[in-house]
Amino acid sequence: MVKSSIVSAVLDEALKTGGDFSELYLQDTESNSMRMINGVVETANYEREAGAGVRVLKGTKSAYAYSVDTSEAALIACARAAASAFNGMKDFEAKSICVDRIGRSWAKQPFAEIGNSDRVELLRRATEAAKNQSDEITQTIAAYMDFDHRTWVYNSEGLHAEDRRPRTRLAVQAVAMANGEAQTGSVSPGYGVGFEAYKDKIDVEAVGREAAKTAVTMLHAPECPAGKVPVVIDGGFGGVILHEACVHGLEATSVGRGSSVFCGKLGQQIASPIVNAVDDGTLPGEWGSMHFDDEGNPAQRNLLIENGILKTYLVDRLGSRLMDHPMTGSSRRENYTYAPTSRMTNTFFAPGSDDEEEMIRTMGEGLFAAKMGGGSVNPLTGEFNFAVSEAYWVRDGKILCPVRGATLIGKGAEVLMKIDRIGRRMWMAPGMCGSLSGSIPTNVGQPRIRVSEIVVGGKGGAL
Amino acid sequence: MTFSEFRDILFKLALEKGCESAEVYASSSEGFSVTVLDSEINKYSVEQTNGLNLRVLVNGRNGYAYTEVFEDPEELVRHAIDNAAVIESTDVMPMQGACEYPEIPDVTDPLGAFDEKEKIELARRLEKDTLAFDSRVTRCDQYNSVNTSVIKTHIHNTLGLAADSEQSISYVIVNPILREGEEEHMGFGFKFRPSPDDIPGVIKESVENALLEFNASPVDSGEYRILLRNDAAADLIASFFSMFSAESVQKGLSLLNGKLGETIAAPCVSIVDDPFLADNPRAFDGEGVPSEKTDVIKDGVLASYLYNLKTALKDGVKSTSNAGRPSVASPVGIAPSNFYITAGEKSFDELKKELGSGLIITELSGLHAGLNPVSGDFSLIAKGQLVENGEAVRSVDQITCAGNFLTLMHDIEAVGNDIRWSFGGGFGRVGSPCLLIKKVVVSGK
Repeated sequence: MVKSSIVSAVLDEALKTGGDFSELYLQDTESNSMRMINGVVETANYEREAGAGVRVLKGTKSAYAYSVDTSEAALIACARAAASAFNGMKDFEAKSICVDRIGRSWAKQPFAEIGNSDRVELLRRATEAAKNQSDEITQTIAAYMDFDHRTWVYNSEGLHAEDRRPRTRLAVQAVAMANGEAQTGSVSPGYGVGFEAYKDKIDVEAVGREAAKTAVTMLHAPECPAGKVPVVIDGGFGGVILHEACVHGLEATSVGRGSSVFCGKLGQQIASPIVNAVDDGTLPGEWGSMHFDDEGNPAQRNLLIENGILKTYLVDRLGSRLMDHPMTGSSRRENYTYAPTSRMTNTFFAPGSDDEEEMIRTMGEGLFAAKMGGGSVNPLTGEFNFAVSEAYWVRDGKILCPVRGATLIGKGAEVLMKIDRIGRRMWMAPGMCGSLSGSIPTNVGQPRIRVSEIVVGGKGGAL
Repeated sequence: MTFSEFRDILFKLALEKGCESAEVYASSSEGFSVTVLDSEINKYSVEQTNGLNLRVLVNGRNGYAYTEVFEDPEELVRHAIDNAAVIESTDVMPMQGACEYPEIPDVTDPLGAFDEKEKIELARRLEKDTLAFDSRVTRCDQYNSVNTSVIKTHIHNTLGLAADSEQSISYVIVNPILREGEEEHMGFGFKFRPSPDDIPGVIKESVENALLEFNASPVDSGEYRILLRNDAAADLIASFFSMFSAESVQKGLSLLNGKLGETIAAPCVSIVDDPFLADNPRAFDGEGVPSEKTDVIKDGVLASYLYNLKTALKDGVKSTSNAGRPSVASPVGIAPSNFYITAGEKSFDELKKELGSGLIITELSGLHAGLNPVSGDFSLIAKGQLVENGEAVRSVDQITCAGNFLTLMHDIEAVGNDIRWSFGGGFGRVGSPCLLIKKVVVSGK
C-alpha cells in the first residue's frame, strides 16, 4: 500500500529519539449498513474509514500518533510526533522488510459485488418471518451491515503483514406489546465471510422467527424472582460468561499492570476441573477470526484453561515486555485511531461430557438462562454482570415458566469454580467487545453449562 | 483535496445527477493525550482525524455516504444516491436552509492553551498527587490521563446553510487503585474542561469513591427505599434517553407514545434540554438548526418529545434542535444537548437524613445490557451503602437493583440540588441531581 522506501523512512524516523521498536499500521475499511424499521427501509449508509498510525516502544513505554492522512509527509509527521515522547539518542536501526505475510479474504462473494437490493431483500425476509410469527409482534427493527477491513503492518524488525477481514451481520429485534407493556427479543448472527453467509451459514427466516419467539415468550412471562440459586446457561452466546467473568482478566491490559484477580495464577487451579477454555483466532470465516493480528503476528489457538488449570494469558507485544510472557497472536484494535493491545478473538468453553437434559433434571429449583444478553466486568475485582434475555424458572428439575428481567451477577474467580456440568455440543455467537483499543468483533461460545449457585437479580416475588 | 474543493465538487456532481439538494457534515479534530505512570510517560498519543459525511436528497429521500479519503467524489456521490434509492420510508426528510444563529458565550477550556510540556507536567502531577492523597493508593491505572482536542465541524448544503463551529474539549481522568489487606479497588474521577485548580477535587473524588468499596457485602434481597447518587442517576437517565426521542415515539418504540400532556413522573420532576448552558453551549444542532431550549417534563407532566427536522415535520411541530449523529459517519438521528433533571432544593446529606433507612446507590453497571429502553425494564448490578437512621453504616456490593423506568419516575420522592453530568460530556450530555426513590427491588443475599 505504501512504497517500501517510505516505510523504511517512517520506521527509522520513529526510532530517532531512542525507541527500540517502531511500527507503521495502515487501515482501509469500506462498510455498508442498512436499517429496516417495521418493514420500511429507513436508512442506508456507506462508510470508508482509512488512516495510519505510528507506534514507538521503548522498553515498556509506548507512544502512538495517528492521522487520517497517509501521504509520505503525514506519515513522517506521525513518526516524529510519536518519537517526541522520548528524548534519547538513536539506538536502533529499522531493519529492511524481510518477512512478508499476506492474509487472503475468506469472502467467496465480496460485498463490492452486492447491490443494495440484495441487502434490502435480506432485511425484508427476516422482518416478514418475525411479523408472521405472532400477532403480538408490533414492531421490528432489522439491521444489516458488512465490512471489508484491510490492514497493513510494517515494523522495525523487518516484518510486513497484510490482512483482509470481511465480516457481515444481520440483527433483528422484535417487539411484542400488550396492555402497555413491551418486551423484546433479538437475534444477530455474524461471520467473517462475504455475502455467501446468508446462503451457507445463516437461516435468514429463522433469525426473524427466533427474535419474535423470545419477545412473545417474555411478554407473557412473570418477573424473575431474586435470589441465589443454581443456574443452567445454554450454549452459544451463554459463553459471554467466560468472556466477561474470566478472559478479560487474562488480557495483558489488566494482568500486565497487576490489575487482575488472575495475576500470578499460571499453572494454578482457577476453575473447576471439568473446565477447558480456548481463544482461537484461526477458525476460518468466524466473526472473531483473523489471519494475522494487528501487530502482524499469525493468529493462534490458545488453550487458556486445561482441566481447570490456567495455561496462558492473552499477550500483545507491550504486554510480553511487561510480563515476560510470549506473545499469543492476540493484538487487536478497532482502527487506526487506537494503538493495539491484547484482546480476545473467538473465545469458548470446550465441549465436555455431560448430558444437557440431566443438568436441568437434577438442578432442583433455579434458573435456566436460554439466551444471554450482554454484560460487563471489572477486571480488578472480577465482578461481572449479565442480562438474561430469555430465561425460565425451574422447579423440581422441571421448567415451570418463562421469567423476564433476570440478571446474573457474581465474581469471576468464584463462578469458575462452581461450574459442575459442561454439555457436549458447543456453538458460538458474535458480539462486539469494547476495551482500551476500541470496539472489535469477537465470538463467544460454550456448550450448555451449569453453575451450582449464582446471584439472580430480578424484581419478581415467589412464583 | 481540501475540504472546500471536495465539498464544491460533491455539490456540483450531486446536483448534476439529479439530487434535489446535498449537504456535507464534516468534522476534523486534532488531539493529544498523555498518561504518566511510575513517574514516566507510559502512553502518549497524538491524534488527527478528518471525515466527511455526504447527505443527498433524491425524490424526498436521504442517502448517506461517508469518507475519510478526499479523493474520489464521483464514487461518494454514487454511493449516496444508491443509498437514497432504497429508502422506503415515506417521511419527508428536509434540510435546513440559510439561517441566523443565536450568540453563544465563549467557553473557557484552560488546558486548551497548555503546550505539550505543560500537559505532560500536569499528567505527572495527576499521578503524584493521587499517590500522595491516601496511603492506600498503591498505583494509578492506565486510564489516568490528560486529554485535549480541538474539533471543527462544518455543516454546509446547497440550500445555503453554512454552520461552522470550533470546540476545544479537554478532560482529565484520575484512575487510582487502592489496597487494604487483601482487597483492591479502583477509583474513577473525571472532569471536562478542567482548570488546574479543579484537579485536587477530581483526585479526592476518585479516591473517596474507591474507599467506599472496601469491606462491602450484599444486603438481603427485598424492596428498599434508595437515594440514587447524582452520577448513577445521570447514567440511568442517559440510558433511557431514547424514550424521549420523537424517532422512537413515531416508530412505536417508546412507552411515552401518546402520553404528551400526561403525568409520567412525580410532580417534583422536571426535565429540560438546554443548549445554552454556559459550560457547554452550542449555537446549532447536528443538522444546522438554531438552538432552542425545550421543556421535556414540567412538574411531572410530559411537555414535549425531542425532534429533528424530519420527525418534527411528521408531527407538525417545530424541530427542538435535537438532531444529532452518534458519529460523523452516522445518519441524522436525535440526541441531547444538555438534557437534565432540574435541581431541587435539598442537598445529598439532607436527603440521606430523609432516607432514614435504606440504600444509597453510588454506581450502576452493565447499563448497555441490563436495561431495555423499549420496555423500560432494568436490572443492574449496583454498589452503594446501607443507611440506618440517616447515617451510612456499611458498604454494599454484589446486589442488583431492578425496576421499570416509568415506575421509577413516578416513585421519585425528592430531587437533590447537586446536578452531575454523565461521562461523555462535550457534545450532548445527560445530567441529574441525586434522587430519593420510594422503592426498587434489590437482589442480594
